[in-house]
Amino acid sequence: MSRTKRQWGGVAALAALALPLLAGCENDQQSVLDPVSHPARDIESLWWSMLAGAAVIFLGAVGLLGLAWIRRARKGMPVFGENERVARGFVVVFGILIPIVTLIALFTIGNIFVLPVTQAPAAGSTRLTVEVVGHQWWWEVRYPGTKAVTANEIHIPVSTRVLLVGRSADVIHSFWAPNLNRKIDVIPGRANRILLYSDRVGRFRGQCAEFCGLQHAHMGLYVYVEPRPKFDAWLQRMSKPAAAPSGSEAEQGRDLFTSMPCAGCHTIRGTSAAGRLGPDLTHVASRETLAALTIPNNRGYLASWIADPQHFKPGNRMPALHFEGSELEALAAYLEGLE
Amino acid sequence: MAIEAGTAARARIDRLERVWLEHPGVLGWLTTTDHKRIGILYFFTSLFFFAAGGVEALLIRSQLLVPNETLVSPGAFNQLFTMHGLTMIFLFVIPISTGAFGNYLLPLMIGARDMAFPRMNAFSFWAFLCSGIFIYTGLFMGNAPDAGWFNYVPLAGKQFSPGVNIDFYGLGLIFNSVSTTVAAINFIVTIFKLRAPGMSINRMPLFCFAFLAVSFALLFAMPPLNTALVFLELDRLAGFDFFNIGSGGAPLLWQHLFWLFGHPEVYIIILPAFGIATAIIPTFTRRRMVAFPLVALAEILVAFIGFGVWVHHMFAVGLATITMVYFAAASLIIVIPSAIQLFAWITTMVTGTPRFKTPLLWIVGFITFFIVGGLSGISFAVIPFDQQLTDTYFVVAHFHFVIFGAAVFPILGGMYYWFPKVTGRMYHEGVGQLSFWLTFFGTALTFFPMHILGLLGMPRREYTYPDGLGWQVYNVIETAGSYVLAAGLLLVAANLGVSLFRGRFAGNDPWGGDTLEWSTTSPPPPYNYPVIPVVTSPYPMWDLADREEDARRLERGELTLEGGHETLGSSVLDAEPDEVLEMPAESPWPILLALMLAGAFALVLTTHYGSALVFLGLAAVVLGAWHWKEPETA
Amino acid sequence: MSTALTPRRGTLPNGIWAVALVIATEGAFLGCLIASYLFLATRVPEWPPPSVPEPRVLAPVLLSVLLVLTAPLVYAASSFARRGRAHAAWLLVFVAFLLQAEYLGAQIYFFHDDLSQFSPTGSAYASAYFTLLGAHHAHVLAGLLLDVWLLLRLLGGLTPYRATAVRVAAWYWVFVAGMGVLVTLTVISPAL
Repeated sequence: MSRTKRQWGGVAALAALALPLLAGCENDQQSVLDPVSHPARDIESLWWSMLAGAAVIFLGAVGLLGLAWIRRARKGMPVFGENERVARGFVVVFGILIPIVTLIALFTIGNIFVLPVTQAPAAGSTRLTVEVVGHQWWWEVRYPGTKAVTANEIHIPVSTRVLLVGRSADVIHSFWAPNLNRKIDVIPGRANRILLYSDRVGRFRGQCAEFCGLQHAHMGLYVYVEPRPKFDAWLQRMSKPAAAPSGSEAEQGRDLFTSMPCAGCHTIRGTSAAGRLGPDLTHVASRETLAALTIPNNRGYLASWIADPQHFKPGNRMPALHFEGSELEALAAYLEGLE
Repeated sequence: MAIEAGTAARARIDRLERVWLEHPGVLGWLTTTDHKRIGILYFFTSLFFFAAGGVEALLIRSQLLVPNETLVSPGAFNQLFTMHGLTMIFLFVIPISTGAFGNYLLPLMIGARDMAFPRMNAFSFWAFLCSGIFIYTGLFMGNAPDAGWFNYVPLAGKQFSPGVNIDFYGLGLIFNSVSTTVAAINFIVTIFKLRAPGMSINRMPLFCFAFLAVSFALLFAMPPLNTALVFLELDRLAGFDFFNIGSGGAPLLWQHLFWLFGHPEVYIIILPAFGIATAIIPTFTRRRMVAFPLVALAEILVAFIGFGVWVHHMFAVGLATITMVYFAAASLIIVIPSAIQLFAWITTMVTGTPRFKTPLLWIVGFITFFIVGGLSGISFAVIPFDQQLTDTYFVVAHFHFVIFGAAVFPILGGMYYWFPKVTGRMYHEGVGQLSFWLTFFGTALTFFPMHILGLLGMPRREYTYPDGLGWQVYNVIETAGSYVLAAGLLLVAANLGVSLFRGRFAGNDPWGGDTLEWSTTSPPPPYNYPVIPVVTSPYPMWDLADREEDARRLERGELTLEGGHETLGSSVLDAEPDEVLEMPAESPWPILLALMLAGAFALVLTTHYGSALVFLGLAAVVLGAWHWKEPETA
Repeated sequence: MSTALTPRRGTLPNGIWAVALVIATEGAFLGCLIASYLFLATRVPEWPPPSVPEPRVLAPVLLSVLLVLTAPLVYAASSFARRGRAHAAWLLVFVAFLLQAEYLGAQIYFFHDDLSQFSPTGSAYASAYFTLLGAHHAHVLAGLLLDVWLLLRLLGGLTPYRATAVRVAAWYWVFVAGMGVLVTLTVISPAL
């Protein structure tokens, strides 16, 4: 009666809900189901096989409940009738033996074969290193061996094994770009390592995945996977000091920046601003977003952010310094030029 | 079957009524030592906190309905999800299962007149109530704990959480754990020593096995938590350095200690639900539980193995491969005892003749959701998969299926099952079934899409999310589901509330139950049984000859113990009668002790350490007064 | 009273079960403190850190031995109490109490001395050291209060209930003394 209908209704609902899972091959998703690397692909395969197994087990068990309903007026089991030993045997087979076999298989595949692929890459097996430091609530990104420093975005060349070294400046955060790999916590006092790899060019979204305070929700980052020449060009640009301001408005902006508290928190290489509390702004205009993917990076949002950072990201560490009018425009003009 | 009363029996019952009478009115409730009254106090207090936690959940879901919503501020959201977790775990599910169901039913199921330590029982309730008020004072001040229910350091340390919020957490939970630990001791001694003659360990109802397992688990799970909390508060209030890396401390120490508690805690949450399920299933399928010894063993094993898996909460932290592999293996092993129980229940239902009344419906829902939650749990023992999906909505789905779907559904089923026993009236069956379906679908709608959200990359504990990632549609479904769920629960409350006054009278045994509580009146008299029953199987109510013999012994005055406030002590394994235990009657000391401790904790919170010590001293004085009058027996 | 019962069969009284369970949970608590101390020790290159003197060895060991020696005293008191020998029981508890109080006094002296040399707020080592010791001393203090209570009550005569109470104290002191040995071994281990 309603039980069978309920089961089919449930399956249909599941299918409907699950369709978008199969669709997701778009840019800018932050999805486990759109892998671009060997580890992420392995994990995705694990998921689908586990789902298949789980569906079988679930439907089987619910089917048995349905059987209990259908046979509610009759004692005993189908075929075997009222036989306690068979009933107990059923419990032993389905409660002990079959689970043991299934779990051993699952354990072997997942924790013996796949696990090494997702652990830290072996020393010397990577061609590039990126260092990431989690802060409340932004990501500091450095490329050791170069002077490149940026924030909230990582660029890597396509089809290149990259070592990511993660640290924290304050509380525990977690670096997570699901399309590329599993998450790795970044913990003060430790350096954790994972592999970053993608065989596909594109922009992938990531986010802090360990609750880290007020603005944990706004601690995103982008991973840009680029063809090698494009990456090299980007890295070279990031290593250079800041562009000189073009025009008097921008010059005024730079002078304001370096003389005001801005410089106490932010660095702009090539100027006297050398603060380390907030993101490096040397090439801020090259980023697509501000405040760790909270707002788009254009003139309007930039000015609004400077005027009142608490409006978009309440509780973040940047105070409102109440710039307005021509000063605000000057600052925005200067920062806009820092490609 | 009611115990027929001849004249001698009638006289004995009258004597018992007089001896066991408690003060009327509020004073009676404040000084009660009757396990049934204490169970009722726990019940309503837990439900109050359930409602609070539910409101917190609805606010969370409403905030997440659309991207970039500003219904609540980030700070408020963080307090909401933290308080939701704390409330539901420490102030609802544990107290209602152990304090309400455990307290009310255990002595009845084992044929005793009360718990082994009735005043300690009362104290555990008052301490629970005071600890709940303590924690909620933080919320009312706008300073509720806000670093999540597992409160990781350094975020929860003084530097990053300078306010008093986390101190409500640390001190409040230490206080709460006093209540739970003391209750666990009481349960164990009661189950070991107060069982009716003939109820040897292998004839104890499965409900009692579950509670025995829970109690031992509590005894060993609370210490790591208390250690972590003591370290946290010493760091925060006195500048100690347990978690301060600059001085050699280790943030991971908190995680190890917390999860050493936290993992057994989830088995502590689910075991009473197993116990309730194993009480309901035989009654409604009208047959004995298949593979009874295996099920009993499985209940104990779950509690035991649960202590060996805690690191699976830390797979993303960067630990050595070999460590993680060991804990993943242990986490998979624990599936076996759960699977044993699951198939025992299912087989019992298939081979019996189930009556799908409301209580059994809740158990069917429980089994369904336990399988879903169990399967997602198993997936987390696959380390690479865990490392992708931990800290996302996938894990939120998992634990809500097991905590809400699998631990709360039997509680709701148990409420319906024992409602006639506790109140003497029957609920409305039609509304009962509707309340089940509403809650069932609400639960599925709310929590199932969370699996998908996790796979699509939505992390947990974020107060909002951006547009364009495909997350909104699932959030909308979940929020709608949460309102359906709330409606279902309100319908449960309405059904039971109205039936309390308008339900038809139920009699002693409306279900044909198998355990002893169905032999006495509904509600039971203060002394539970006019004669201590003698049992010869785990299904005493189905042994009609034994119950008829009880009636004859009542006439003869054997084991009626009507001379004082007494119950029978028996040996641990074979339940052979050992001694007559004199039980204390009403007492003011339990509530006073709880108040002294509450004072001490409040004073520590406000850093008045000297005054806190004074209150501790007063607590010691109250303990002395408590033990001043001695029983005649040992 | 109208009961038909066989005589007492020698099962443990409820009070003894209760104290056994208290011992289990408190033992687990002290065990967690010790485990935390050891965990922290593995996280740093130097333990204790350079600014902190190495722990004493002789005094803690001797004091531990003293505490261990009081446990049989209370145990004997319990035996006498169960045989109805009130005076003997009282005297034994009293002597044990004096020795245990002396133990605690000495420990408090050393605790103070340590505090004057290094602070628990200065390092994880110090935090763990003082907390572990302080927790054990608190358990000793609780035991002393139990002793005082027993001495007072036994003045009023011996009953089965009070005999069980002395037995509870015996179990408790065995626990505290045993934990004392473990705590001492932990705390002196860097100097060994």
